[in-house]
Amino acid sequence: MAKMKNIRRLSQILFLVVFLVLFIQTEYKGEDELGLPVRLFLDFDPLIALSSILASHAARAVFLLSLITIALTVLLGRFFCGWLCPLGTMNTAVGYVRMRRRSKSPDGAGFPRLRKVKYFVLVFVLSAALFGWNAAGFLDPISLTIRSLAIGFNPAVNGIARSALEFLYSLNIPGVSGAFDALYSKMTGTVLAFEQPVFRQMILIASIFAAILALNFAAPRFWCRYLCPLGALLGLVGSKQMLARVDVDGAKCISCRKCNRSCQGEATPFPSGNWASRECLLCYNCREICPVKAVAIHPTMKETGEGNVDLQRRRLLAAGAAALVTVPLVRFGEHHKRPDPSLIRPPGAIPEPEFLQTCVKCGECMKVCLTNGLQPALTQAGFEGLWTPMLVPRLGYCEYNCNLCSQVCPTGAIAGLTLEEKQRIRIGLAFFDRNRCIPYSMGRNCGVCEEHCPAPGKAIKFREVEGIGRDGAPFALKLPEVDPALCIGCGICENKCPIVDKPGVRVSSINESRAEYKLYL
Amino acid sequence: MATRRTFIKVLGGGAALLMTPAEKLAGLSLPGEDPTTFAVVRGGDPAAAVRKAVDMLGGMGSFVKTGDVVFVKPNISWDRRPEQAATTNPAVVETVVAMVREAGASRIIVADNACNEARRTYKTSGIREAAERAGAEVPFMEKRKFRMIDLGGEVMKDWEVYTEAIEADKIINLPVAKHHGLSNVTLSMKNLMGLIGGRRDLLHQKLPECVVDLTAFFKPALTILDAVRLLRVNGPQGGTLGDVVRLDTIAASTDQVKIDAFGISLFEGAEFDTNPLSFPHVRIAQAKGLGSADFRGRGYAEIKL
Repeated sequence: MAKMKNIRRLSQILFLVVFLVLFIQTEYKGEDELGLPVRLFLDFDPLIALSSILASHAARAVFLLSLITIALTVLLGRFFCGWLCPLGTMNTAVGYVRMRRRSKSPDGAGFPRLRKVKYFVLVFVLSAALFGWNAAGFLDPISLTIRSLAIGFNPAVNGIARSALEFLYSLNIPGVSGAFDALYSKMTGTVLAFEQPVFRQMILIASIFAAILALNFAAPRFWCRYLCPLGALLGLVGSKQMLARVDVDGAKCISCRKCNRSCQGEATPFPSGNWASRECLLCYNCREICPVKAVAIHPTMKETGEGNVDLQRRRLLAAGAAALVTVPLVRFGEHHKRPDPSLIRPPGAIPEPEFLQTCVKCGECMKVCLTNGLQPALTQAGFEGLWTPMLVPRLGYCEYNCNLCSQVCPTGAIAGLTLEEKQRIRIGLAFFDRNRCIPYSMGRNCGVCEEHCPAPGKAIKFREVEGIGRDGAPFALKLPEVDPALCIGCGICENKCPIVDKPGVRVSSINESRAEYKLYL
Repeated sequence: MATRRTFIKVLGGGAALLMTPAEKLAGLSLPGEDPTTFAVVRGGDPAAAVRKAVDMLGGMGSFVKTGDVVFVKPNISWDRRPEQAATTNPAVVETVVAMVREAGASRIIVADNACNEARRTYKTSGIREAAERAGAEVPFMEKRKFRMIDLGGEVMKDWEVYTEAIEADKIINLPVAKHHGLSNVTLSMKNLMGLIGGRRDLLHQKLPECVVDLTAFFKPALTILDAVRLLRVNGPQGGTLGDVVRLDTIAASTDQVKIDAFGISLFEGAEFDTNPLSFPHVRIAQAKGLGSADFRGRGYAEIKL
């Protein structure tokens, strides 16, 4: 019989591959509709669903998918963590190094007292959501992983691959260069991004993820054991784990403690009756390592012991109280009174207060954005809006015929829109800086903004005046002006303005459709 | 009085006439007439019109030789559908690629340095699909494939040029006739901007001089103007079908100045002056000897299908 441990490993690899493929496919592939369920893992993530419901008081049909995860967890415990979670798999891989090293403790490297921390994290996150701050996305493993890969690692991986291929192409060796030329063209838009992605806060977001992986050197699966709020949620839901309980036969046991040392989740199967079901990741290591076959994992009604850590109700209440204190600090900031003018939300974003409660900062929209214009906010939306998406027109504009961001949003923070609906939505308004715009400030024609304006009927219109050339000859000088009735704030004018440092036309969030108080006309 | 010499001439001409394939006859000039150097076809479907226009100039074989690498440059700049007339009609591109292939080209490349996202423009314009169907390669213009070249122009000196375009044996220019906010029209000469990279946005400040420099540098072997649909206002992107009129017109020539002058004449009734010589780029190009603005002069032939 194939070892369950190996089947589990196979499942981990398989789901990590699926995850990575979906991640890479979160990009325009030549059709208006993405076609693939690129946000699949988020759809099945109950913490994303729960926190969004608590924070925004709005449920979406897609959240029902996470009930499947819940139901399976009731039966199988934290199988999601042990068999499916991509971050869990990465932690398993890195943690394996630590697992193999000898530890001072007879039960292997670990910090048993820290195991309860993740439950406090969960209570904090859910209480915060209840009080209106959706903080789950910062720590939810799926959201965290997608964001880190999209913003932190994808640009780096692309940069390295591109430089390597470009170098080999530039060597100009007959045959070799041609082969790499073909490979380059094949890879861009498929495995690699079509254009080199660029993201603000890349190093910060990559470092956080690297630190999470590095924690595995302190204890294997450090994140999963001690910090992960989704792990805590699934642990609580699946503590009965009725179909797969770990049962150590005390009569056979020779107290070698190998099961404890090999345990992924620090669920302490030894001594018999001490098994902590909430920590068990169903990794099967204990059963397979036991030299005397004293460990069984099976459906049982028998009392198999419950060594779950005491959650200490007082501390749980403290975590909730901490959220109660923190949420006002986070929420009642300047951004609620005067939104930052540069905070241009993607088209379809629901009104700002609801947007902040609904967005889980997963980074899917930023990954899929056709022009790389969607960037993680830093302070523009207050601390509660950290890493929420904003359009930075200088880096990329909103492509007129594209609504990919609304297709990938897992929570409806960016509402699903048809293209026709999207093209009517105003996300901001363009303003000319007459001190910098070339026709105004230098008296010569330019008009790149007007040329690129995609709004039917042109939101940028020329007013023709008589200009005088350097040679004294009069000519038709075309001064661009914005028609606020037509401008949708897509930012292509700002993006394409030839004044590449500080442009002659800039878009700010005024006049956006979703906020009535911001109407300009 | 008929001399022996004229007798032989007529005899020889008659023999040549008899040996000419029927489809080439349309473009053949009668004795005393100039050969067609500027062909206009009105009516008919785009594919037939393109074939007719090129045949009137002597067939694709007069421009493309067996084994040539041919770079075909349509306008694929904007994320617009064919009926919005902001990009070259895909049927025109498809027909030209097919004719180039029939003429024996070894390799046909169709590409443009797009203004909107290239993956979208190639798809939405229908050009990628049409050109590939006819047997062309349709690559995206990747940054690494641009090379700094001295264009030797009046204002355009060192500039990034798409390598495959200059390495090709022949360039065929396939502009779509459109309104343009800054230059009032965009026709064949401006279409060549899609062959260069770099900071194209800076060129708008000296647009006429720049497009003339590009015309002098690239010297397309043939230019076919697509005026199947004409975007009359709100160019070069349009977006509203109300801005588009159906003309079903194709013009072909090796003279880009004539093509542009003809293209300007299509805008008759527009709010700008449609006298070709009121356009600086036409004046400059003509003064430089790149062609003539008098497209109705010698070599002009027009056919209605």
